[in-house]
Amino acid sequence: MTLPTTPLSLVVNGRQVGPIDVPDNLMMVDFLHEYLNLTGSRLACGQGVCWACTVMLLDTDGAPPREIRTCITGAHFFAGKSVRTIEGHAERDADGNVTALSLVQQAFIEHFSFQCGYCTPGFVTGATVLIERLKREPVARADVESTIEAALAPHVCRCTGYVRYYEAVRSVILDTPGLVVG
Amino acid sequence: MIIRKVWHRVVLAAVVIVVLGGGFALAVLAGAFEKSVVSAAVDTPLSPEEIAELAPKGRYIAAAADCVACHTAVGGAPWAGGRPFEMPVGTLYATNISPDPTYGIGSWTRADFHRAMRDGVAKGGRHLYPAMPYVSYRQMSEADVDAVWAYMLTREPMAVPDRQDSLPFPYVRQFMTFWNLLNLPGNVPAPDAQKSAEWNRGRYLVDALGHCGECHTPRDITMGMMPSRYLEGAVIEGVDAPDITPEGLARLGFAPDRLAGFMRSGMGPEGVMGFAMYDVVHHSTQYLTDDDAAAMAAYLAGEPAPAAPVVAAADLSPETAANGRRLYVAVCAGCHGIEGEGTPSMAPPMTTNAELRLPRPVNLLTVLADGIPWRDFPHGRLQDMPGFSDLLTDGEIADLSNYLRATWGGRAPDVSAADVAALRRARD
Repeated sequence: MTLPTTPLSLVVNGRQVGPIDVPDNLMMVDFLHEYLNLTGSRLACGQGVCWACTVMLLDTDGAPPREIRTCITGAHFFAGKSVRTIEGHAERDADGNVTALSLVQQAFIEHFSFQCGYCTPGFVTGATVLIERLKREPVARADVESTIEAALAPHVCRCTGYVRYYEAVRSVILDTPGLVVG
Repeated sequence: MIIRKVWHRVVLAAVVIVVLGGGFALAVLAGAFEKSVVSAAVDTPLSPEEIAELAPKGRYIAAAADCVACHTAVGGAPWAGGRPFEMPVGTLYATNISPDPTYGIGSWTRADFHRAMRDGVAKGGRHLYPAMPYVSYRQMSEADVDAVWAYMLTREPMAVPDRQDSLPFPYVRQFMTFWNLLNLPGNVPAPDAQKSAEWNRGRYLVDALGHCGECHTPRDITMGMMPSRYLEGAVIEGVDAPDITPEGLARLGFAPDRLAGFMRSGMGPEGVMGFAMYDVVHHSTQYLTDDDAAAMAAYLAGEPAPAAPVVAAADLSPETAANGRRLYVAVCAGCHGIEGEGTPSMAPPMTTNAELRLPRPVNLLTVLADGIPWRDFPHGRLQDMPGFSDLLTDGEIADLSNYLRATWGGRAPDVSAADVAALRRARD
């Protein structure tokens, strides 16, 4: 049996990928794992509930990036689009070695935010999408906590709990100029 | 002289017409044409023993009549009212029907309660607005009204004042006498001897308790339900309350034996109870007994039920088919299945989905735009469905809905990007 395929081209972590023949019915998380060897996006529930598999969908028109669940979104949805996976957050040298973590990644480490780490790629993605939104639409200081809660509410963690993720994201928001007004 | 005489007669006739017309109007206004269906038997109060005995039955009848949906506001005190009804002329609020003597109905008599339920006239002769479905409750038996009365009397009194409505003319209430003259049936229909006892019980559950017609029967210019278009479907809160006549239900794919289960569980191969019907399942139909759910289904499905038409896929242009399929796999198939088969306990199938079979696409387009929040169904929580209004273009939503409706609903692919844009504007 051969699966029907269609050529797929997209930008992943700033790098042009494809065209690659990809099965029409493949979900994005499988494409990342099996075709690009980007295994950091976690497949857990497989039904869009836990948000461990999310990636950033980047908008070329300057709109804030969006968080997309790759376990329930087809690979071909991303044709011609640009995404950032968990592998694309840190700065790297020419050989691909990590030279500096992103602000969110660094904050999660400093706050001991995760234990097993399975949910962490999703939390990094969700928190980064939130920070990018606040750069464009800052919130009042009084609304910071509720904004974090609303933005990260769908993400599921089963070991460390949520408090340390929450505190890490709050520290990034309060320590980064321009995200909070008043 | 002759002209003058004729003129006199014309004036006299006009005066007579005005006086008679005015007199008639005054008589209507005074309630002279109102007909109560409440018997004198309820003038005697229920004894404490009767109240204690009837209250458990009243709990069931009140659930079947979905009283709580309006008379307990979201997050509000039980039976203390407060649910708003926003209307073009102002906002009405459901009233406190707990037995508080000051703020609720604690000072009412048994007869007052019967008249409110079945005549639409509250204690002291104050006319209710038909947001209270007394046109439907009029058909309730006195025994069932007594049971609800006993149930309400055994609730905790809630000292919560009614919220003042914001209608501009408070004296409009009395003019409900005109509305009632047009829209409140004089008599209660007798059981249909040609039909089974189950069918008759089903009609009672649908018409009297469930007051299904209040949403599913279209209303005429006076806002009264149109008997000639009984249960043929109407627009409620911007979406279609479907045609639930036997033919309408057959077209949506509801077999009688399945309909009873759907009313109780709120989900099945036909999809998930959406929009306002989720609340109806949540508050009311999930509590129906096996027999009552079956009776309701038997009545709605018809006796005998019409044969279910075979739903064949409608034709799609190759471009719409390809683009719709691509979009379906991209954003739907992860949960609803590559072939539309659905995923148990997670996402209903598309192949047998009633929403795709509706004549108009507005319900589907609304779900595609907004998604559905997670909800508690009787058999468990169902996860949310995301909305796609900010992820897909209007043209993509049109192609996707045409693909869904044509492939699995057998409906012509007649949704355009302009339709999606118009709906988006109407909702913004």
